[in-house]
Amino acid sequence: MTNVLAWVSGSGVVQGIIIGGTLAFLSAVVTMNVVGRTLTTTVNGWSSIRQCGQPGNGILVRAACAKALPAVNVFEEAAYWTSTTDASGQRLNSSHDYVLHFPAGQFPPNDAFWTLTATDMVGYMVNNPANRLGIGSRSTLAKNPDGSTDIHLQSKAPDRHAENWLPTPSGNFKLMLRAYLPGAAILDGSYQVPHVARTQ
Amino acid sequence: MNRLILKYGYPITAVILLVFAWVVYRRIAVGSTILPLVVAAVVVWVIGAPAFIYLWPRLTVGGYKRAILKHGFGAGPIPVNSLYAVPGTFSPSTASGSLLATGTNDLLYIGGWIDLKDRPQVLHVPDMAGRYYSLQFIDPSTGANFAYVGKRTTGTQAGDYVLTGPGWKGSLPAGMARISAPTNSLLAIGRVIIENDDDVPAAYGLAKLIQLAPMQQP
Repeated sequence: MTNVLAWVSGSGVVQGIIIGGTLAFLSAVVTMNVVGRTLTTTVNGWSSIRQCGQPGNGILVRAACAKALPAVNVFEEAAYWTSTTDASGQRLNSSHDYVLHFPAGQFPPNDAFWTLTATDMVGYMVNNPANRLGIGSRSTLAKNPDGSTDIHLQSKAPDRHAENWLPTPSGNFKLMLRAYLPGAAILDGSYQVPHVARTQ
Repeated sequence: MNRLILKYGYPITAVILLVFAWVVYRRIAVGSTILPLVVAAVVVWVIGAPAFIYLWPRLTVGGYKRAILKHGFGAGPIPVNSLYAVPGTFSPSTASGSLLATGTNDLLYIGGWIDLKDRPQVLHVPDMAGRYYSLQFIDPSTGANFAYVGKRTTGTQAGDYVLTGPGWKGSLPAGMARISAPTNSLLAIGRVIIENDDDVPAAYGLAKLIQLAPMQQP
């Protein structure tokens, strides 16, 4: 018995188990990330996954979903899009100002509400002095003369249309757009969220 | 803690892999056999990677289970088979906010952990008068939303729904619809829209009325 224990401690089996377990964890994470990426559709820099939360998903899909969007609603209940890049593919960063331009009548169609939030790269909201953490269908937004709407994504208040301002967290940040009870144009894929344009 | 792991995942991983490389290097350098270590590592790796993937939904939902039953969302642990409505919108400064900090402040959130092993539970929802709300029921083994109650699926009128576990047989109280759960344990997440800042008390009043009670035999 003592001999067995001595062999176990000296042979490296314990170290092997620890190394194997860690590699198993890391390769599982990498696999789920890769599967998650294949499930993701990206249009105009906005990424969304439609299959998550549905009964009947396979083992890989449900694992990838649990990793990317834990406990997420099914797409018919709430459509989510995330973006970390602007129209030219550059990382969104609070040192720049951005505009999200919705042409007249082109807000995300829905039967409940839509909302846009800016979070840190992990996905957590960050307090800002303006105490404004989201902007959307519950906000009173100013329109341009042609009926379109510009949402200003920047760290300092804009010169005009301050009611259209969503403060951005410092450093790289992530945008999340949600439409609850998404309309038919979202469900059939014909609606596209406009890209995020850098203004300076 | 989760937040730190997410934020510094790559450097932490790199350090761990460097430590492993050093351990293996030391064994080779002092001339001891490397075979048992390699065999053990490969066996655990080959079995472990699919196991992690298979268990991942359960591990994720387990995080919500612990948050609900051990910590709650500001008012202490939430007992099994009860629903807790978070009274206000999320604020990033609240200590308990980490799960909710990924949500949105257009909604009041409701959370609960349900166990149907002993008997079915009756979910009561008040008349929401057209207001958007939803209750999402999640199977912890797969992460699938196997049922919804709410504006999209059942409408906004008042109602009572009987949640039953797998294999339950019996008769339902009159006028109640049945929701058959694939497992005895399940996670419930509810959402009630806040129309505007002045609407928080009204939304909270309704959210509090969404409740669970053990089913009485008819």
